[in-house]
Amino acid sequence: MNDTVLQAKGLTKYYGNSPAVDHLDLEIPRGCICGFVGRNGAGKTTAIKLMLGLLEPTAGSSSLLGCDSSALTPAIRQRIGYVAEGHRLFRWMTIGGLERFQRAFFPKQWDDKLFGDMMEYFDLPKRKKIKHLSNGQRAQVSLALALAPNPELLIMDDPTLGLDAAIRRQFLEGMIELIMRQGRTILFSSHILGDVERVSDRIVVIDKGVLRANCSLEQFQRAIRKVVLGFSGDVPGQVDIEGLLHCKRGDKQLELTLVGADDEKVAAFAKSIRAETYNVVTMSLEDQFIEFTAPANHKRLFQWEER
Amino acid sequence: MRFAALFGKEFRECLPWMLLAAIVLFAFGGFTLRMQAHDINPIREWSRGYSTPGTTMQASRLTFNSPLAVVGPWVFGSAIGLGLILGACQFWIPNFTRTWPFLLHRSVHRSTVLAAKLTAATVGLILAVGGIWVGLFWYACRPDVFGMPQPARIFIEGWIFITLGLVAYLGTAVSGLSEARWYTTKIFGIALAAIVIFVTAMQWSLVWALAVIAFSIALLLSQLFDTFATKEF
Amino acid sequence: MAVWIQILPGSDEPIYLQVVEQVSKAIAKGELASGDKLPAVRKLASELVINPNTVARAYTQLEQAGLVVTKTGSGTFVSDPKLRRSDAADINALAERIDTLITRALNLGIEAADLTKLFDSRLAKFAGQSDKRAGEK
Repeated sequence: MNDTVLQAKGLTKYYGNSPAVDHLDLEIPRGCICGFVGRNGAGKTTAIKLMLGLLEPTAGSSSLLGCDSSALTPAIRQRIGYVAEGHRLFRWMTIGGLERFQRAFFPKQWDDKLFGDMMEYFDLPKRKKIKHLSNGQRAQVSLALALAPNPELLIMDDPTLGLDAAIRRQFLEGMIELIMRQGRTILFSSHILGDVERVSDRIVVIDKGVLRANCSLEQFQRAIRKVVLGFSGDVPGQVDIEGLLHCKRGDKQLELTLVGADDEKVAAFAKSIRAETYNVVTMSLEDQFIEFTAPANHKRLFQWEER
Repeated sequence: MRFAALFGKEFRECLPWMLLAAIVLFAFGGFTLRMQAHDINPIREWSRGYSTPGTTMQASRLTFNSPLAVVGPWVFGSAIGLGLILGACQFWIPNFTRTWPFLLHRSVHRSTVLAAKLTAATVGLILAVGGIWVGLFWYACRPDVFGMPQPARIFIEGWIFITLGLVAYLGTAVSGLSEARWYTTKIFGIALAAIVIFVTAMQWSLVWALAVIAFSIALLLSQLFDTFATKEF
Repeated sequence: MAVWIQILPGSDEPIYLQVVEQVSKAIAKGELASGDKLPAVRKLASELVINPNTVARAYTQLEQAGLVVTKTGSGTFVSDPKLRRSDAADINALAERIDTLITRALNLGIEAADLTKLFDSRLAKFAGQSDKRAGEK
């Protein structure tokens, strides 16, 4: 069995003159839980739709479970679960009706008990119509519909968008439940870095359609750091060091955000510009993400002024 | 099993509109017939004259003067109306409710999803409009109603209107799926349907009418399957 | 048993480190005695709602630090304190941490004597437990 479950090669999609997805190269191994993060409009949904064959690439290709995305066979689709953006379902149907509808496509793999258990856990009666459900409840139904067939590969596009904290937690529990089953691969896009941190092995960062990072979560968290250098004299103007993301000049200090910088090189650099103190500041995943995807000359919205 | 599930879903979505069309046709068509049958309407005069034994009349006048002639427009209207609505429901509305991704990620070929929609709409048209039409025709043919059999041609004409409903449906579907803007090729489907309907309504020869309709249906169907297979959702 | 582990995903520390630290602290305080079994990876992951791999990584790190021992098939157990070694690198890292602590305290204006008193009182909290542990043996 092929170990690579999802693959993209130079995947590109242009809308008009600008690329929504720009030469994306990606390989996701089996059993990986991959968090797909990026700012609004970075291209996450476009990339996912391309991989699922709902959009046609301008250039490049992608494949799921070894099958090209533009020609996904019914047999392959059978093994892939998908929770689309917004988790829209047929409004007039009841939950029970949707269950019957979905189950018809998975005669052998449908897990009745799992679906029932999830509906009970989320407190959703099967008679209820989709149009009477809240956003969060609809997300729960979508998740159950996607999990019950026991998919090999689960792709979720921003599944927790608009959900409150409690429902998000329940949703994550459902995901963890799936992770426990061996060999399942999950790709999910999310804005909520806390959720990504809880659940992912791997993080993929996309920014303006371009792949910026594709590594294990641990590597990412270790690679991005903030170093604060203190000076008694003047703060140097020119800062040139490998892996510099941002540089913030304070009154008597220099705040450097670095990615993948060698410890020794940083220490040597600090010495070379005669820094007196050297402090490594740990960052939360959210801070790391923000710094990593902020443009080099990003302006601050609000200016702090001393009075 | 898969097709059945898809068909069931599509058919259930057509049901309210089917009912509406059936009720409209039954109510207005049936009312017109009963009005004529009970001597309320001067149109009745025509048929009364001809029900006297020994009267001869030109065969060509039978059709125009049949009491069902006034029902014809109602069949026409409800068939086209139902066709337009079903086309819109199946192919325009999902663009707004954004349910396409859920519907299309299935362990079936895309064409199967399309086939389920088409089958449901066709069956819907036949049952709702066709069924009532058959009922009305049967009623009009009863000896105690108008005292004479109704021309078969009228029966066929009614069914031609129903196929025009199908043309309207397919035209709306093609337009709904088209990615183009309003004022360009997007309008192709509906425009073609409108032309076909207009042309056929003017036709006297049934054979020509059927030929035009068959051709347009073939054209629209092939366009539909082509577009659906490669369309981006 | 897992009640004493709490993780904060938004914090500055990676989740697996938080688990490592909390387990380490529990062991140091004696809340987890030598030979006690740690919760199964999957169980802890399920309770904390985190990826089981994260728990596994934490347990691996604890094992590398010599605090726990994994017996395949049985689970992960707190190691015997007598068998734990500390090498020069560990001592160095510890010294650095102590330096950070001292810097902070001095910057806050705390006197050396007060700092020593504070240190002793905090140590007592742990020692009370570790005496209990020693007593059980």
